[in-house]
Amino acid sequence: MALKTKRKPIEPTTINRARKAKFQADLALAENRAVRRLKEELQLSSNTDFLSDAVALFQWAVSERKLGRRIISESVGGERNVLVFPRLERVAPDTSLPRVQIQWTERELQSLAKLTTAGEANHPTEALIRAMRD
Amino acid sequence: MAIVIRRLEEHDEVKRFDCGDEPLNHYLKLHAWGNQTKSSIGVSYVAVDDLAPRAVIGYFTLAMASVPRGAFPKKHVRGLPPYELPLILLARLAVDRRFAGRGLGHALISEAFRISLRVADEVGCRCIITDAYRERVVWYARYGFVAIEGGAPNGPQRMFLDLRTVRAALER
Repeated sequence: MALKTKRKPIEPTTINRARKAKFQADLALAENRAVRRLKEELQLSSNTDFLSDAVALFQWAVSERKLGRRIISESVGGERNVLVFPRLERVAPDTSLPRVQIQWTERELQSLAKLTTAGEANHPTEALIRAMRD
Repeated sequence: MAIVIRRLEEHDEVKRFDCGDEPLNHYLKLHAWGNQTKSSIGVSYVAVDDLAPRAVIGYFTLAMASVPRGAFPKKHVRGLPPYELPLILLARLAVDRRFAGRGLGHALISEAFRISLRVADEVGCRCIITDAYRERVVWYARYGFVAIEGGAPNGPQRMFLDLRTVRAALER
């Protein structure tokens, strides 16, 4: 759902009042139907309440994934489904990697030592620069 | 087609994955999940199309390793820090044959580089190491990997990429 923010210029007399942002959403017909149905099911009367609840839910999901927790639904019978929502994966931590042992030959270790003790690292290649830009 | 790269999940569809290399297929289908969750041997990241977000079309596996200072030949120890040398192992990288030639390998290795930088920021790491199939050495060299000499002539080619080089690419 694309949300557009309309901002009114702030007049000096309104600066100290609580600011509220207005959202205008361009929804496809199917999305609009989904919103109406959800509002009915959740007994929400206004779009403001709907958006407010949706934001709260999204905020919670983001905070859980940021902590590395997975979001799981569980049926009465114990069957579990993990929520895989691509955008949420952008905030998930990736930094815990397990540790493994690698076997080295003596010549490989010589070569590795030379590469590691090089005063300056090689310049990045075009492909590497592109990889980090993409 | 919008590609998402994320950690392997338990219910991801891996049975149809075929990169043309049986050991790489076999690892994803039989070992990747167990190694990630039970054995803590490697973390696999998978590429999926967001229209079919369970079907794995590419993957790579990362782990951390280190070389004790004492393992280096004595005449090469000078210049090395007085600690173990920490490194990241890019253990596997594969793309399903049906999606070959579409830049998926590039997307996967780009993500592997980004994760490696984040790991290096958090715990410190000097380089990325990979054991490349001989026919893939040129592909890795394009990204700046250089050959580590001294391995078995018929086995995979061990390759090295300094994380300072990766960081420099980020700043370009």
